[in-house]
Amino acid sequence: MNTKKENVALKWIANISFAIISLIVLFPIIGLLVSSFRPSSDLMRDGISFTIDFSNMNVDNYMYIFNEASQYWSWYGNSLMISGMTIVLSLFFSSMVGYALAMYDFKGRNLFFVLVLLILMIPFEILMLPLYQMMVSAQIVDTYFAVVLPLIVAPVAVFFFRQYAMGLPKELMDAARIDGSTEYGIFFKIMLPLMGPSLAAMAILQGLASWNNFLWPLLVLRSNDMFTLPIGLATLLTPYGNNYDILIAGSVLTIIPIIILFIFFQRYFVAGLTSGGVKG
Amino acid sequence: MKKSLLFLIIGLMSMVLIACGGGGDDDDAASEAEETAVVGEDLEDATEITFWTFVGQHMDLYSDAAERWNEENPDRPIKLSAETYPFEQMHNNLLLAVQSGQGGPDIADIEIGQFSNYLQGEVQLEPMNEYVEPVLENAVSSRFENYAQDGNYYGIPTHVGATVMYYNTEIMEEAGVDIESIQTWDDFVAAGEQVVANTDSVMWNVGTEDWLMDMWPMISQQESDAFNDQGEVILDNQTNIDTLQFLQDAIYEHEIAELTPGGMNQSEEFYGYFSEGGAASILAPLWYMGRFLDNMPDLEGKIAIRPLPAWEEGGDRSAGMGGTGTVVTNQAEDPELAKEFLAYAKLSEEGNIKLWTELGFDPPRWDTWESEEVRADNKYYDYFGDGIFDMLLEVREEINPLNFTEHTPDIISEYHTNVTQTVLRQNNQTPEEALKAAADVVRDQQ
Amino acid sequence: MSSDLQSSNASSELQKKPFKEPNKLLKFLNSKKVVPYIFVFPFIISFLVLTLYPAVHGIIMSFQKILPGQVEFIGLENYSRVANANFYKALSNTSIYVILTVLILTIVPMLLAVLLDSKYLKFKTFFRASLFIPALTSTIVGGMIFRLMFSETDSSVANQIVSLLGMESVDWRYNAWSAMFLMVILGSWRWIGVNLLYFLAQLQSISAELYEAADIDGANGFQKLRFITIPHLKPIIIFVSTITIINGFRMFEESFVFWETSSPGNVGLTVVGYIYQQGIGQNDMGFGSAIGVVLMLIIFVISIIYLILTGTFKRGDE
Repeated sequence: MNTKKENVALKWIANISFAIISLIVLFPIIGLLVSSFRPSSDLMRDGISFTIDFSNMNVDNYMYIFNEASQYWSWYGNSLMISGMTIVLSLFFSSMVGYALAMYDFKGRNLFFVLVLLILMIPFEILMLPLYQMMVSAQIVDTYFAVVLPLIVAPVAVFFFRQYAMGLPKELMDAARIDGSTEYGIFFKIMLPLMGPSLAAMAILQGLASWNNFLWPLLVLRSNDMFTLPIGLATLLTPYGNNYDILIAGSVLTIIPIIILFIFFQRYFVAGLTSGGVKG
Repeated sequence: MKKSLLFLIIGLMSMVLIACGGGGDDDDAASEAEETAVVGEDLEDATEITFWTFVGQHMDLYSDAAERWNEENPDRPIKLSAETYPFEQMHNNLLLAVQSGQGGPDIADIEIGQFSNYLQGEVQLEPMNEYVEPVLENAVSSRFENYAQDGNYYGIPTHVGATVMYYNTEIMEEAGVDIESIQTWDDFVAAGEQVVANTDSVMWNVGTEDWLMDMWPMISQQESDAFNDQGEVILDNQTNIDTLQFLQDAIYEHEIAELTPGGMNQSEEFYGYFSEGGAASILAPLWYMGRFLDNMPDLEGKIAIRPLPAWEEGGDRSAGMGGTGTVVTNQAEDPELAKEFLAYAKLSEEGNIKLWTELGFDPPRWDTWESEEVRADNKYYDYFGDGIFDMLLEVREEINPLNFTEHTPDIISEYHTNVTQTVLRQNNQTPEEALKAAADVVRDQQ
Repeated sequence: MSSDLQSSNASSELQKKPFKEPNKLLKFLNSKKVVPYIFVFPFIISFLVLTLYPAVHGIIMSFQKILPGQVEFIGLENYSRVANANFYKALSNTSIYVILTVLILTIVPMLLAVLLDSKYLKFKTFFRASLFIPALTSTIVGGMIFRLMFSETDSSVANQIVSLLGMESVDWRYNAWSAMFLMVILGSWRWIGVNLLYFLAQLQSISAELYEAADIDGANGFQKLRFITIPHLKPIIIFVSTITIINGFRMFEESFVFWETSSPGNVGLTVVGYIYQQGIGQNDMGFGSAIGVVLMLIIFVISIIYLILTGTFKRGDE
């Protein structure tokens, strides 16, 4: 009897406290959303505030971005393209590697795995300057390719795919071999589909990393019509620009679609992460 | 579930597409947001000249010049493509391009404080002597010296950057101060005390990230600097210590000033604050006029421009601050053409007049200051009254050259990150201690 | 046996002779010895070109003075300059950031995950999603929001809260403690949701029987957490904390959004920020590379010590 009452109380406490935590975590985004209807230069002067003056609110920022900020939408397109390319290329490369590390016994396998961990530890910033010089001499500065290339080596994804593939049934491979499948056929037709959930999870993480990537594109992208969203938005944060309307409304429009996409896809995403698990 | 997903994606895609399509054709409406410009696209055999800048408005000058050039020189047409980047990104990318010998533009704007970075090693810029030397005697020559090394003039200056005092006349009247009576810094302090006593405003603001708009011009007025002409650090000399002491006293001793909101007077916080009458004066170069027009339109007709107070009677009343040198890089496709075009756009008499009429800068060639075009009505005279160039002519001999070295950025960074913090914000170090420490840091790096 | 088969095939079906060569090649490419190398090959190439070569080049650059058209070797001079007050400031900022984020980003998501996994909670999907959503904003956008929330005016959210507590408005971006607070809270806000998911994933792999057995033994909630949950979470704790350490040392954007490249009193200077400031902003690539190499060594040493202490390598050997 007593424990039942206790449980009800606990339920209430747990749910309410979680609701509060969610509210706090979401507050910045809600704050941005509400503030995006305020005149942008006022917002830059006063900051995001609890006090809301409804008479002062309008949709000017959004009108401006839809009607006059063609540059913003080209940044949007660039970010979509670059993220798409990064997801496809890095997943393709790293899933093969992770799969090979998990499924085959070959000379140098352990060495290779250590190598992957080492890459994980090298700060990108030390590679940055030489990489930049490479891009310049390859004459691909200011192209999508220059942004995407360094992201192809994705040690986290390799690591994750290895862990995931280790849980796949090896018997399937043997059965397929007896049926006359090539090793490549086994990978592409049988195992890769089985890795689906983990691919979805990594697609989201890689896509996010690329969507939000800042320092590298800042170096290799030159022309305004090649900028990605983070760079474009950062250019508006300077005292020389008076384009705060794009900055505020643009930030909202940058995160809202992703949030909607995430809410739709989250079950696949979580399934992918969950079934993988990481075994130290 | 599946269906709704599909709808969602289609919806998102069409939103993006519509926006792209809709955004494409109203370039002219978004003049202030413009970040690229192309002139002469349709001309055959035009030589392409690329131009990088960090201030969008600067592109107007060159677009305008390119159109005139193509009319006057149909045999040598140019196709100008201009590009605006944020300050730091442009300088960093230009440095990387210069460093690696590839990927740079033909013509570029370089901010004065960054300029020395480009004069190290083998200079990768084209000397402009053939165009600069003939006009030097009719111009404020110290501005050209800022971009020169070993007798080679590399950069074409954009303005004199004569530093002046902007007074809010409404507040000054309310306080009962006649601004003509402010001749020296002592007068300025006395006037400040009156302002603080009689109004809700303070007299002035001292910035924590405003080396260019208080400390530097004020020591330049006294013929001091951060480096001497041999490039040795003199940041901690007595003049500079006294000047920083003056700034500290203005806040804590005389209580006529407070720290600049936002840290510098080119910030959104400050524009709001000053518009609402937070302070009565701003020390800034003449090009700051543009900030008033763009960011503080409410103050039209209420701002008076006067020379800086002098340190002693008869002392210098201005300093040349800020600036941008435009250069031709040796990566230019046709360096001779690029040089000639740059001189045409910016160094010619017409170019100098355009610097004023298009951009509101005080042009380096003073032989244009009395021309009809410069004296013709425009929005700056509407806002500030028409005495601007008479005042400039009055102080043009009182502008001292500045000494730049490759460590100038270090000085600025030390001043902004350490000196102003301890002396001005926290008030827990004496000017002498702070300047000595900063000077030593820079000396160690030399 | 298979080779026998193949040769007999080849001799009996002469008309197929032209295909013999590619067949052999295909066979070779399909052998279990070769296949893994082919799978790994693209990665190796990209590693050599995009990681190893630049890394070596970066190390070489750290011994050079690099000016346009003039590159000279100057021995260890760049390294001797690394030992200066600004670098120590950057290193101490970064270290404090690492320590704080490792603590926050391991403990908080773990506790939240345990709660989120408990039977008391309804609306799990909603709570999980709302905690993950900050990860979807970029540091730039997130940072801008925080900058506006923690603006130094009295009307900003943060200062309104502060004044409710009866204190004076704070100049958030100008004090050492509040600057660190801003960076840590921005980093934590963005990463809690991601780490939470890692923990949740692992929690779901703990079998319910263990808890039932514990219930029978009369264990209370805390004991279950202490003796069942945490030990089972150990691998993921190590994974999450290692990633957090490495990311913490590489932190740059969280500082960049608040101050760009130079902050008052260097309150926001990080090691990577210092690399960027010196290597690119001040045109001293050799020096920048030297700081990078030092940073790389620090990360290597710390992560390896950490992994040894937590026994990760031993596990790998099993």
